[in-house]
Order: sequence, then structure tokens, then C-alpha cells
Amino acid sequence: MIAPRRWQAVKDFFYGMTGYVFVRHAQEMKHEAEAIFLLVTLGDLAGVPIMPPIYSLRLLPHVAPEIVKWKRQLARRKDFWEKEEYDLHGI
Amino acid sequence: MNALIAVILGIVTVYLTYTRYARRIDRDVIKSDPKRATPATLYMDGVDFMPTNRNILFGYHFKSIAAAGPIVGAIVAATLWGWLPAMLWLIGGVAFMGWVSDYSAIVLSVRNEGHSLSAVAHRLISPRTRTILFLFIFFYLLLVAGAFVGIMAQVMESQPRTHLGMILLVVMGLLLGQMLYRWRIGLIPATLLTVGVTLAAIMAGGASEGIFKGLNDAFNGLTGGAPIVTYFDPTLANFKGADAKIMPSLLFWAVAISLFCYAGSVLPIWRMAQPVVYVGFWITALAMLLGLGGAALGTIIKPELAQFQIPMFKGWNPQMGPAGVMPLWPMLFVTIACGAISGWHALFGSVGTARQIENEADMLPVGAGAMLAEFLLGLLALLAISVGSKGPPVAAFANGLGGFISVWGFPLQYAVSLAFAAFIVIVLVVTQLLFRVMRVTLTEWLGEIIPPLRNQHFSSFLSIALAILLVMTGTWIYLWQLFGAANQLMAALSLLLVTIWLVSVGKNWLYAGLPMILMYLTTVASVLVTAYNLYFNVYLPNLEAGRTLPAVGSGLMVLMALLLVFASLFIGIDGCRAFFKYLGKPASAARPAVAKG
Repeated sequence: MIAPRRWQAVKDFFYGMTGYVFVRHAQEMKHEAEAIFLLVTLGDLAGVPIMPPIYSLRLLPHVAPEIVKWKRQLARRKDFWEKEEYDLHGI
Repeated sequence: MNALIAVILGIVTVYLTYTRYARRIDRDVIKSDPKRATPATLYMDGVDFMPTNRNILFGYHFKSIAAAGPIVGAIVAATLWGWLPAMLWLIGGVAFMGWVSDYSAIVLSVRNEGHSLSAVAHRLISPRTRTILFLFIFFYLLLVAGAFVGIMAQVMESQPRTHLGMILLVVMGLLLGQMLYRWRIGLIPATLLTVGVTLAAIMAGGASEGIFKGLNDAFNGLTGGAPIVTYFDPTLANFKGADAKIMPSLLFWAVAISLFCYAGSVLPIWRMAQPVVYVGFWITALAMLLGLGGAALGTIIKPELAQFQIPMFKGWNPQMGPAGVMPLWPMLFVTIACGAISGWHALFGSVGTARQIENEADMLPVGAGAMLAEFLLGLLALLAISVGSKGPPVAAFANGLGGFISVWGFPLQYAVSLAFAAFIVIVLVVTQLLFRVMRVTLTEWLGEIIPPLRNQHFSSFLSIALAILLVMTGTWIYLWQLFGAANQLMAALSLLLVTIWLVSVGKNWLYAGLPMILMYLTTVASVLVTAYNLYFNVYLPNLEAGRTLPAVGSGLMVLMALLLVFASLFIGIDGCRAFFKYLGKPASAARPAVAKG
């Protein structure tokens, strides 16, 4: 009988080899969509001059937790080999 | 020698390396501190920087580094020098260098705010290092793409039973992408359907063999059975040298593979590249797991299947003759790259894995653990080629692995089909990704100077055309060795960077510095040997025979070899300067430790 912790570790290992890559990619796609949405609605927070619509204020409480991450992403310039295309999935 | 002893030897190597050497370095030199905040926790953005459980990350990193390299390298090396040198290098390489390179690249990135190797090189060595790395990476990719397309086209031309499985693999990959991202079907049912159908097609390959054989014959009939290109290859006919003939059917399969790679390069990654890799992973993983277990069990159940058939040692330079020189040192050490030590792992680990490390205590199990697991994959490939003596190297590998799989009760014919498919699948899925990376590299490197390269279709086409040129005109073994040398040089450069960083923070640098010196000298020497072989044994004979295309191809490879040498010399000189600069006055640590609550 395998101990529950060991069994969980094996499951995590297989998840890392299989489903994790899809989850990461889905997160990236979601993040890209969110980044555009935030830029359009709250661009002035990142220094992009947009007319603040009334809806921005209504959205603000919902997106507030994401703002710090979003600004951090905008500020960080990626090196080209940090792009997704460089994930060779083994060689 | 039999497979069980080799498996036990491999497991003992992994255990001793991890517990007696790697843990000591982690504890005494790196001093990993579970309380120190990692970039993943400091800069979490939910995408690139994401604290991840160590077991998940181990699986992710292992899958990201383990593919065709350890398999092809072991097959070629065992054929050239015998199984003993190949096994000794696999064991020695991973124990003293391989894990060091992978683990240290992750440490370097984690301790430098998650920066990539190039960013750290820019800071610690010199700004031009980044530019030279572009050159390095592009030619590295071109060489490996040429080597992989070449071997796949050869195998697919000679093994029509594999075609149905490969076609269904692509179709099922496309279907999987659609199911997951558009139809929102769960991963488990989607996996069962797509992997199941692909497996069924692989097993049914024998039934469709006649159709594809007829197709090959029809293509060859277009030229009346005459080859399109003929070139002198000194590595043929057991290294006595013979004319290699590129038949129309081989060109057809090379073009078909290239079209597949082109689609993988330009389509959104979720549409084709990612799901095809996923389906391919299951096929290969299944074959490898059954094979590894079968290798151990085979000794007891079917001892005749587990006995080594190829010579133990063929000599220090067994291929004297038209092939010129193929000395064990330095050529063995670049023929087997992944499985022993690989530069690409370091590059990937520093940007992909390091930013997901949740806790510094995870760096060792993830970095070193995944490399040691990849070594077992290389060892399995070596076992398969060592016991399967029939036919050319890839066929011998498939026969050997098929024999191991058949220990579980599968009919040998189906087991060999699965083994062939596992080999082609793993090479095929990596090749499509290679062209994707080449396209991005070309655009980033030369897009400003040559604007058409910013067009993804043009840059993909150019990358594929260059690789096909190498396939049509190069000599495969030399092409593979040049790729291995470029890969190992990258490993040496990453170790150089780690060494300089260790000196700069006042730590003992010997554990990374000594492997770096050995790999640097070995790989530069191997590139020079390959350039010599190519020039005198391929370029000149073909030029004298008036065969322009092969002369151009081999001349291009000589040029690439020399460029790699010059690039590594520049980085080496800059690295030496930086090393001695920091040796005198170590700088303070890159980032002060931040205690967690």
C-alpha cells in the first residue's frame, strides 16, 4: 500500500509532465486577455492617457487585486528567449 | 553483460550522485535556504513567476529536457565505439557534470532575481556575450534541425509501417487542441481518445505498409530509379566510404516532415505544436516505461533478449580510413550530449523552471533530479541498441526496445512497431518546435537588418530550406556531432557563467569550474576534428568529383564549425577576464536574503 503522501507526489509528478503545460498556457491566454482589458479600462494607472469612463470606477473593486501583477508585467521587458516559443519540451 | 546489471548500475549511479555529491554541494557550497524568498514568491505574476509544488515542477522540468537527444546520442555512440565507452561517459558525465550544469543554472537564476543566463552574462561577463549567444543558438538550432530531419526522413523512407501512425499523430494532435481549447472537453477523455487512436494506428502500421511502399516506389519511378543527388559519404559501408544516394522518396519524406514543421512553426502554439507534443509524449513514455521494466524483467523471463550483442569496445579510433579521424576523445563526449550533459537544459532551466521554484530547497530535486532521470532514459536507449543487434542503428534500437517491451507479453511485431514509433514521434515533435524557435531567433537576430525576416512565413521557410540543404548535402554523423558540440559548448558556457558567479559571491567554484574546463576544451577540440573531417573527407572529394551541391553543403558545415569555435573563443576570453577580475575581489551577493514571515 502506497502512503497517501507518496501517492500524491506521484500524481503531482504525472500532472507536471502532462496537464500542467495546458494549465500554464490557459493562464497565459487569460492573462493576455486581462492585460488588454485592464489597459483599455484602467490604462491611466499605467500612464497610458485614456479618458476614464464611468465603468472604470465600477470595475475597479473587481480588478483591484490584479492591478499590482498587471503593472509588474507591463514594467518587465522580456528577453527574447524567455518567450513561449523557446520552450522546446525536451531536446 | 546483461540489461539487469546495467539497470542496477544506473540506479546506483543516480542514488550515489544525488545523496553523496549533489546534496553535499547544495548544503555546503550553495547553502540553499528554505527561508530565503525566491523570485517566484517575490515577483509572482501568475504567469512567468509562479510558485509551484516541487513534484509538479520535477515532472514539468523532466518532460521539458528529456526527448530525442539522449536516445539518438546513445545509439550513435554505441555503434561507433561500443557500449562500454558510451555507458562510462553517460555515468561519469551525469555524475560529475550533467546535474551540476542543470542544477547550477537554476541556482544562478534563482539567486539573480530570475534573470536568464544571457542577462546574467551581460552583467557578469560582457555585453557582447549576448550577441554571440544569438549566433551560437541559431547555428545550434540549424544543426539539430538538419540532423533530426535527416534521420527522420531516412527512417520514414525505410520503414513504411510507421507512416500511418505518424499521420494519425498529427491529426489527433490537431483534434486534441480543438477539444481542449475550443470544445472545452476534459483532459482525461480527450487524452484517452487521441492517444488511443494514435496507438491503434501505430499497431495497424503493418497493414498499411504495402500502400506506403507503393508510394515510395512511385516517387522513385519519377526519375527511373535514379537518385536526385549523389555524394561521397566516408561514414558509409562500415566507415570504408561509399556514395550516398538521395532518392526522390527520401526527398518527399523530408519535404513532408518540413511541411508539418512549417505548420507547427506558424500556427498558434495551442493549435498544433503543444497538443502534438502531448500525444507524442504518451506514446514515447509508454514505450520507455514498458521498455525499462522489460529490460529489468527480461533477464529473468527471457534471458536471451537481455544479453548484450554489440562489441564492448571497438577501439580508441576504430574508424580509421576514408572517414579520417574519429577519436574517442573528444568525439564520444559530443556524440552523447543529452543524457550526460546538455547546454539546452541550462538555458531552459534558467528561464522556464527557475521562476517557478517555490523554495530554495526544491532546486536540487528539480534541477539535479530531472537530469538524473534523463540519464536513465539515455541508459535505456543504450541498452536497447546493445541488445538489438539487427540492422542499422535505429532499426537495432527499435528491435532492442521492442524485445524489452515484448517481455510483457506483447507480440514482438507490435512491440517493435511501438518502439519504432516512439523513436520517430519523439524526434518529430521536437523538430517542429525547433523550427518555431529558429523562426523567432532569426526575427530577433536579423529582423532589424533584413525586414523580410520579420515575416513568420518567410523566416520559417528560410529555416526549413537551410535545414533541408544540410540534409541533402551533409554527412549525417558529422552533422550530429556538430550539433552535439554546439550543445556541449553551451553547457560549458553556462558552467563558465556559474563559475564566475560563484567567484563573484566568494563561494567555492571548483565543482562547476573543473567540468567547465573539461567540456570547453573537449568541445572546441571536437568541432575542429569535425571541421577537419568534413573538409578533407567530404568537401574535397565531392568538389573534385564535380558534385556542387554536396560540396556547398559540407562547405557550409565547415564554416559553421569555424564560427562556433570563434564564438566560443570570444566568450572564453571574456569569461577569463571576468573570472580573474572577481577572483581578486569578490563582489557581494547579488541579492540580500529576504526572510519569510
